[in-house]
Amino acid sequence: MLRFNRVFRDGGGFDSALVLLALAYLVFFSAFPLIYNLVISFQSVDLFTIATFDRPFVGLENYRDIVNDPLFWPVVRNTILFVGVSVVFQLAIGLALALFFRLDFPGATWLRGLFLAGWIMPGLVVGAIWGWLLAGDFGVVNWLIQSLGLTQQKIFWLSDPSISIYSVIIANVWLGVPFNMILLSVGLAAIPADVYEAAELDGATRLQRFFTITLPMMRAQLGAVISLGIIFTLQQFDLFAALTQGGPSNASNVLQYWSWELAFREYRIGHGSVVSVFMILVVIFVATAYVRSTRHEHVV
Amino acid sequence: MNIAKLMGAVALVTLSTPAWAEPVTINLWTVDRPGEYHYKMAEEFSAKNPDIKVNVRSVQFPDMVNELAKAMATGEAPDVTYIDNPDVALFASRKLLLDLKPMVDKSSVIKLDQIFPGPLASVSYKGGIYGIPRGANTIALYYNADLFKAAGLDPAKPPKTWDEVYDAAKKLTNKDKGVYGLAFSAAASEEGTFQFLPWLQMAGGDYNKVNVPGGVQALALWKKFIDEGLASKDTLIRGQWDSTGTFNAGNAAMDISGPWELPRMSKDAKFDYRVALLPVPKDGAPRASALGEGDNVIVANSKHPKEAFKFVEYMYEQMPRVWNEFGYMPAYPVKVDKPNYPQAYEVFNESMKFARNRGPSPDWAKVSKAIQTAIQTTLTGQSSPENALAAAQKSIDGVLSK
Repeated sequence: MLRFNRVFRDGGGFDSALVLLALAYLVFFSAFPLIYNLVISFQSVDLFTIATFDRPFVGLENYRDIVNDPLFWPVVRNTILFVGVSVVFQLAIGLALALFFRLDFPGATWLRGLFLAGWIMPGLVVGAIWGWLLAGDFGVVNWLIQSLGLTQQKIFWLSDPSISIYSVIIANVWLGVPFNMILLSVGLAAIPADVYEAAELDGATRLQRFFTITLPMMRAQLGAVISLGIIFTLQQFDLFAALTQGGPSNASNVLQYWSWELAFREYRIGHGSVVSVFMILVVIFVATAYVRSTRHEHVV
Repeated sequence: MNIAKLMGAVALVTLSTPAWAEPVTINLWTVDRPGEYHYKMAEEFSAKNPDIKVNVRSVQFPDMVNELAKAMATGEAPDVTYIDNPDVALFASRKLLLDLKPMVDKSSVIKLDQIFPGPLASVSYKGGIYGIPRGANTIALYYNADLFKAAGLDPAKPPKTWDEVYDAAKKLTNKDKGVYGLAFSAAASEEGTFQFLPWLQMAGGDYNKVNVPGGVQALALWKKFIDEGLASKDTLIRGQWDSTGTFNAGNAAMDISGPWELPRMSKDAKFDYRVALLPVPKDGAPRASALGEGDNVIVANSKHPKEAFKFVEYMYEQMPRVWNEFGYMPAYPVKVDKPNYPQAYEVFNESMKFARNRGPSPDWAKVSKAIQTAIQTTLTGQSSPENALAAAQKSIDGVLSK
């Protein structure tokens, strides 16, 4: 007992217990599902074998089916488009707003706080609202652009296959901007004011200050925001469910939605897992980049 | 003597029911919410049968198949449950549902030959009977008689054939006023299949034979509705409820949907709306209509099949009430006194004779998906109706040959 006390209180026992607790949590809730998902992707799984572990292994068959599926490349292309365009615009608008709110004007902080309202709203609610805004026949957006005389024809934002993916992107950018803005604001606040003052005294213009001070000193934050943006965007499911269901004719289908469709609409659970394995690989790659960018932070 | 036995004895004395056995509890899963059909049925049945208690649990409609499969795999399935009719074959093919045929044959309540062919087909699988329809629904053509008059059409003569419905849609479409000729659903979901299948069946095809000239003709007509602006482009992503919303608002002059729309329509639609049978390809062609609603089924390893069947019988007996109280069509011909929405009831009731099952196929979800893909690739112009249906036929053959 004494010995235990000594180890636990004074030695490394307590530290190890804390670490083990966190580790156990990770193993249970992260590692296990990930590995389980990987295992399922090599098995033939349907609704009725989902509760047992004893399922036939089919090797790479599921992978072959998915890669040869005529939907595979269009869906990959859509996913890259969705993630790429979303992240670029979220970041650009988020940074612009962060810089804007850095200007000291009355109400700046609380206006900035209000922006967060959008971010805390559930995706399905945001999706439903954008659904009304973008509706083809009676949508607010169409009414607006028609009354402004920008177009005579209605734009079928959600049901025109060449446009629908961009409609989801618009909603997703709106949803992601506040998060980007807040994270970047924090980064901006950490840059010491005297650096700017010194540069100003030396005659640096606003633009020069932005490119030689702000951007380099924000490197870590930008890296983090971009990585998190990619991960969040890859997770974006609700907006697709609420707006287009990946349609029409899969024109706005992306990996995360396709995976769900395969597993829970067609009950091809093994195939759905294959798609999510692909996504995990991408996320691991991005997460590595994120970890590296935050490691950089400690040096600064 | 335990408490249950004691209570049994008390029940015997007070109610003088021959309840020597302990009260039996049967579990019921439903897609209804409290106050709706199954809750009412359970309450009435338990009141009439004090020795049988019915526990009701609600499951969201889209989750029913998943939840049930999970529960069956882990042995926690209910005794009686609701299953949407195209999903019966999925569970029956795996012997997870009780074949009711032996009990039905002896039943004095349930008569199979009474049931409309569509609902009966939906519970039949390889010679067995795996459920009893709790009711049914189907689709028909709603039309706005006021807009018919305004367009110079006779509201007493709604379109009967595909050519007529096309002509009427053309005459009724008024772009300046934002009125489409027709509203329907071609969504990439079960609803799209539900709406398209009757067109295919009237033209000589079915779920296992989509690649027929009539199917091409039907799909080409649907494409014409969209391309010529007679129906909204949003038809591709909109379900029946939202499509009918545009009809109720006066933004579509005709609409294809089912009787579930009537309560809302009677409130929202400020015009003379009427219902007609779905138009057929040409005069004299066979009719078909969709079959909706679902079935009361008994799970194969239920511990109380007898009591469960008694409950299913009770529900079957209530068929004359389903239209006025719950808004479904009766699944066998019954006499309904003073039906709500009499004109609509008459048409839907007539339509029930032609309502046809989706499937049966244990892989219905995959068959349905192939049909949806054909509809969507055609209507977006990615594929011709011929190629789309040929592709669908190929995937359906693959699914059904397994």
